[in-house]
Amino acid sequence: MTDSLSPHRESLLACPDCDLLLRVDAVPLDRECHCPRCDALVQDGGHYAIDLHLAAAFSGLVLFVPAVTAPVLRFTMVGQWGSNSLLGGVWHLWTQGEQILSLLVLLCSVVAPFFHLLLSFGIALTLRLSRLPNNFPAWLKWHRHMQGWSMLEVYTLGIIVAYVKMLDDGDVFVGSGTYCVAGVLLCLIICNQCFREDVAWRQWEQRK
Amino acid sequence: MSSRAFDKGLARCFSCGKLCQLSVQQHQASCCPRCDSPVSFRQSASLSYSWALTLAALALLVPANMLPILTVVSFGQGDPDTIMSGVIKLWEAELQAIAAVVFIASVAVPVAKLVVMLLLMLVVQLKLPLSKEQCTLLYRFIHFIGRWSMLDLFMISILVTVVHMGNIANVESGPAALAFGAVVVLTMLAADYFDPRLLWDLEHE
Repeated sequence: MTDSLSPHRESLLACPDCDLLLRVDAVPLDRECHCPRCDALVQDGGHYAIDLHLAAAFSGLVLFVPAVTAPVLRFTMVGQWGSNSLLGGVWHLWTQGEQILSLLVLLCSVVAPFFHLLLSFGIALTLRLSRLPNNFPAWLKWHRHMQGWSMLEVYTLGIIVAYVKMLDDGDVFVGSGTYCVAGVLLCLIICNQCFREDVAWRQWEQRK
Repeated sequence: MSSRAFDKGLARCFSCGKLCQLSVQQHQASCCPRCDSPVSFRQSASLSYSWALTLAALALLVPANMLPILTVVSFGQGDPDTIMSGVIKLWEAELQAIAAVVFIASVAVPVAKLVVMLLLMLVVQLKLPLSKEQCTLLYRFIHFIGRWSMLDLFMISILVTVVHMGNIANVESGPAALAFGAVVVLTMLAADYFDPRLLWDLEHE
C-alpha cells in the first residue's frame, strides 16, 4: 500500500511562511522537514496510514449522532433538572433570539466536525480503493476549511468549565453525550495525525 | 542571499501547495494545474483585508467587554456579568484554575491577537526592522491560539440550556456574547488573510 503512495515527487518546494525555495529531492517522503530560514513545517513526517485514517473517520461518524443528540451535562437543583446536548444548545440559543450566535456554535461544534469526518472518510476510502472521483480536489479543499472551523476540542474544555461553574449551585452529572463527544474528539485527533494532505494531492496528480 | 520562489517566477498554490510557473505580469487569473484554484504570488490584497478585519474586531472588543455577557438568576436574584466580572466571581469562589482558563481564553487571547496583528501589519506597512523569525513565530502563535477564544461562547450555550428552570435558576446570554463572537471570527479571518511572506519580502527589498 505504501509503495503505491510514494510516487515521483516534486524536486522543489516553496516554504509556505517565507517563500524560500527549497530543493527537497534528497529528503525521504516520510521524513519531517522544516524550513531552514523560518522553521515552518514544509513536509509532514511518517507514512500516510490510510487504514487507520479510514477506521478513525468511520468510528467518528458512528459516534457522531449520539455525540450531538445525547445529553452532555445534567443539572439538578431543588427537584428541578435540566440537561443539554450539542444540538439542544444550538436550538436553545436560536429560540432565545441569538440566531447568529447559534449558527456560529452550530458551525464550529456540529457542522464542521461532521464534514471533517465525512470528507476524511471519503478521501481515505477513495484513496484506499484507488478510485478518485472527479471532485477529489474540492473534497481536499473543503476538508481543510472544515478542519479549521471544527472546534470540538474547545467545546470539550467548555463542558469542563461549565461543569465546574455549576458544581456550587446543585448536583451536576456527566451525561452519555460527553463520552461520545470525547470519542469523536479522539477520532478527529487520530484523523488529523495520520492524514498526509501532500500525499493525497500527489495521488490525485498521478491519476490524471 | 537565499532565493525566493517569487524570484524564479514560481508561486505556491494556496490550496494544494504546488509550485506553479507564473510570469510576473500575470498576477491574477492563473489557475493551479493540479487543483484548479486561482494562483498568485502573494495572498491578494492581504494587508487591506487584514487591516479591515482587525480594526473591526478592535471596535467590537469594546462592547464585548463592557456589555453583560451572562446573567445568572437564582431565586429571583442575580446581576448581569461582563466577561471580566465573571472571571473575578470565579476567582473569589475559590475556582482559581477555571478563572485562569476563562481569563486566558476570553480576555488575554483576543487582546493578544489584536496586538500581534497590529504589530505584524505595522511591520509590513512601515518596513520596521524587527526580527522576521520572531514575527513569524508570533504569527504562528496567534494562528494556533485563536480558536480557543470560542470557549466562552460554547460555555454560554451549555449554561443557558442546562440551567433553565423558570423561577428557581436561569441563565441568560447578554448582548456582549454576539459582539464577542464577532471578535473571535474577525480575528481568525484577519490572521487567515495575513500573508507572513510579506514579512520576509522586506528582507529582499
